[in-house]
Amino acid sequence: MRSIRLFLYGFPIGLLLLLGAAFLNASFLSVAKKNEMSIGTVGEASTLNPVQANDFHSGEALSLMFNGLIKYNQDLEIVGDLATSWDLSQETTLQFASEEDAANALAFFTNGISVQPPPPARPINGVFKKGKEVIITLKQPGLKESEDIFNALLASGCHPLPFPAIEPGSKERPFKAEPIIRFNLREGVRWHDGAPFTSADVAFTYRAIMDDKVASPRRSDFELVSSVATPDLHTVVVRYKKPFSPALLSWMGSILPEHILGKLDPSKWPVSYNRSPVGTGPFKFGSWKTNEFIRLVKNPDYFLGAPWLDSVVFRVLPDPLTLQLAFQTKQVDFWDVDPWAVKSMEKNPKFALFSSAGGMYLYMGWNLQRPLFQDLRIRQAVAKAVNIPQMIRCILYGRGIQSTGIFTPKMWFFNPSVKAIPYDPAAARALLDEAGWKMGRDGIRVKDGKRLSFTVITKNGDEIRRDIATLLQDDLKQVGIEVKVEIYEWSVLLSRFIGKRDFEAIVMGWALGNDYDQYAIWHSSQTHPEELNFIGYSNPKADRLLMELRQEYSRQEIIRIAGELQQTIYNDQPDLFLFVPESTSVMWKGAYRLRHPGQKSGEWIDSPIRMTKAGWGYDMEWFYRPEYPPTNPATQTIP
Amino acid sequence: MTSFILRRLALSVVLLFIISIISFFIVTLTPGSPYPWGELNPKISAEVKANFRKKFHLDRPLPEQYAFIMKDLFKGDLRSIKDDRPVMGKIMERLPATLALNFTAILISLSFGTLLGVYAARNAGRWQDIVCSFVAFLFIALPGFWISYLIAIILVKGFGVPILGTHSYGIAFPNHLAAYLDTIWHLLVPATILALGGIASQSRYLRATMIGTIREDYIRTARAKGLPEETVLYKHALRNSVRPLVTGIGLLLPALISGSVIIESIFAYPGMGRLGYEAVLERDYPTLVALNFVVAALVLLGNLLSDILYAAVDPRVRLE
Repeated sequence: MRSIRLFLYGFPIGLLLLLGAAFLNASFLSVAKKNEMSIGTVGEASTLNPVQANDFHSGEALSLMFNGLIKYNQDLEIVGDLATSWDLSQETTLQFASEEDAANALAFFTNGISVQPPPPARPINGVFKKGKEVIITLKQPGLKESEDIFNALLASGCHPLPFPAIEPGSKERPFKAEPIIRFNLREGVRWHDGAPFTSADVAFTYRAIMDDKVASPRRSDFELVSSVATPDLHTVVVRYKKPFSPALLSWMGSILPEHILGKLDPSKWPVSYNRSPVGTGPFKFGSWKTNEFIRLVKNPDYFLGAPWLDSVVFRVLPDPLTLQLAFQTKQVDFWDVDPWAVKSMEKNPKFALFSSAGGMYLYMGWNLQRPLFQDLRIRQAVAKAVNIPQMIRCILYGRGIQSTGIFTPKMWFFNPSVKAIPYDPAAARALLDEAGWKMGRDGIRVKDGKRLSFTVITKNGDEIRRDIATLLQDDLKQVGIEVKVEIYEWSVLLSRFIGKRDFEAIVMGWALGNDYDQYAIWHSSQTHPEELNFIGYSNPKADRLLMELRQEYSRQEIIRIAGELQQTIYNDQPDLFLFVPESTSVMWKGAYRLRHPGQKSGEWIDSPIRMTKAGWGYDMEWFYRPEYPPTNPATQTIP
Repeated sequence: MTSFILRRLALSVVLLFIISIISFFIVTLTPGSPYPWGELNPKISAEVKANFRKKFHLDRPLPEQYAFIMKDLFKGDLRSIKDDRPVMGKIMERLPATLALNFTAILISLSFGTLLGVYAARNAGRWQDIVCSFVAFLFIALPGFWISYLIAIILVKGFGVPILGTHSYGIAFPNHLAAYLDTIWHLLVPATILALGGIASQSRYLRATMIGTIREDYIRTARAKGLPEETVLYKHALRNSVRPLVTGIGLLLPALISGSVIIESIFAYPGMGRLGYEAVLERDYPTLVALNFVVAALVLLGNLLSDILYAAVDPRVRLE
């Protein structure tokens, strides 16, 4: 009997005592913090293989462990990373019926002055003849560059023979234009396991991306590569089948270690490599506890110098509210503030906030295959009837700007001269009247016995998108358009509605980073199932600009063409372009400072964490805690 | 006894097979299909998508897909669509956390539930009983997510105590004891919340049976013999009232596993509930089928255990 009582009372009392002791322990835990940065994420990385990863959460950890050949600097200019320098050039190959014709063409380019008309002003690096072919090396790649040469040659009376097309079924090419990128790799770089980094790793990464068994999401970037050559350990020469300027940016992707993965079958990667990767970056892989954390530790042999932090931990905190709580107990060091909380946190002197116009825009896409939405006047009327500034006020608490098309102000090719369509319900009503939609008795417009009514679908779990749909509904009711809202789970939205093109209007967002090539989204050839022009947009002018943009390498020209493209698409209103939310991150004031290498070698710049064009987290590898100051002196200190 | 267990096990195998078929068709016939790339991404070409479907046999008819999944499951080579890792490995690495959380919760509900039940039965009809009933119904009625948020906010904002995950982060622990206590703390908070409903139901079951038992003749006899009230209660009445508790344990296990999805998300606890929840959203069919399989096996095992416990606590029960 005594034992029963002991059991009955002893257990609960014991548990209570344990709970109390654990609580006291937790509340009196020493505040001595480790030299560790803690980052909270709502989802977990799926893999730490940079060639197979396709989610945002993997990307964050990967960027600290791996390097690409090139990268964006804080002002979004392209600079070297694993490559110290790179040269672009382009070989234009012309073939002739006879050796004699080829010799004539060669003479045209070599003794240009004496020939009429004179050869083009394009900078030519060299010309040589190989049998019946003449190969001209241009300093600047681009389709136009080769076309100019070809046209000059035609004018001089030489007539080259065409080449077969690259893709079967398309037209023959009058000449071959093959861009070449030559990378000079950094010497002395070592993988985390000590093996040297060489050009073989770059060539291997290319082969891995193209391997079906690897199933890399980066594959489409490399389809046009014709060869990757490695003339020596620190040189890589990449040759392309045709001009494709976004290809350069694809080398920002991380490089894989050939000495580890080269002899391992890709089916073994998920278990043997993807959860304990070896990279070249400032942090090495430490440990990974599934759905709990990924810890990276510092790489003392990093080629730019060892980082100041001992470790970085990415914690999975799936619930947004508890993520906020974790930030408040300093269990994570940064928090992406919701728009409603920004104002109160801004006033609090304990926090440092970093805001930037986001790289993402929200829109309502029209299904342009439906006759109703093919009428531009309807789309324009909706654009005028929806009060977007009010949406920004109500949904984002003012933390956003009205979108003016497919690019956002954060991008270097954004066209600031595109003017947003102002809110003007009277003009919207006039346009609808003009289009023949007369106000019906129930306050909804009617034409030929059909009511002006459509259904907007959007994704479940995204409050901003849900609120957009609600406000849209109200605004459009004011001008006599009925909107029904349906909300579906993401996976259902994709397979049942977007995949089958079975929707009328859809509220979505595009976050495309600094990629000006939006061929996949807007070109009229990309409307097949699975392809991304699911709204069915088609405009020959936009098609031409999209093609030109992909074949243009000059930064000025890209800005010009992208600007024209943005205006063209905005005029067509294939989407109702809504707004670009601002994103804000918060840190406890003074929790971190930054000491990063400057332009000159040996120069170290010490500054508070600041906002750059590339975001506040750019240079995160050089963050340090003031209680663990860096060991080297700063040459320049910015207060 | 042995033959009973063997028969039950054989029956369980048949049941598991049927469960696997049903669960496979439930997950695959749900609208939506696997899309492991998150948001729409222009870099993912149609070719990459087709390649992915082929790799996971998603281009085959459903019965064939089922055959592939079951074959791979028994070969131990069933791979998750999300990260291409073996599914059993993914489940096994989370099982310890789930079991720790759920067994702690069962322990808490049993010990406090018994105490409250006995206390309420002893004071049946008096104010103590009413208070106990009130508390029990409150625990049953409170939504788990709400009380979790409430407790999280109070502990974090009021006391500044870390509660998320399985231990505190970024802290240099002074000694091992502090580190152990910290881990226990991170386990006890979600386990206690998870146990609230169990405490309530256990105490109600026990109270009801115990009040019934106290009215039995043999209790009156025991009292008439002049036995001390304590002995009557704990030795005679309680022993004969614990049978429903044993039934309760068998029922608790499945309830706890399903109930822990929300608690695990809120407290960032790396258990199986979240694995399943995320697999549902991602339509990760192999993970879902394997997970259902493991959970079903656990539930069947739980029922078997509770039957065996029955025989242990009640000599009148024969397992044949």
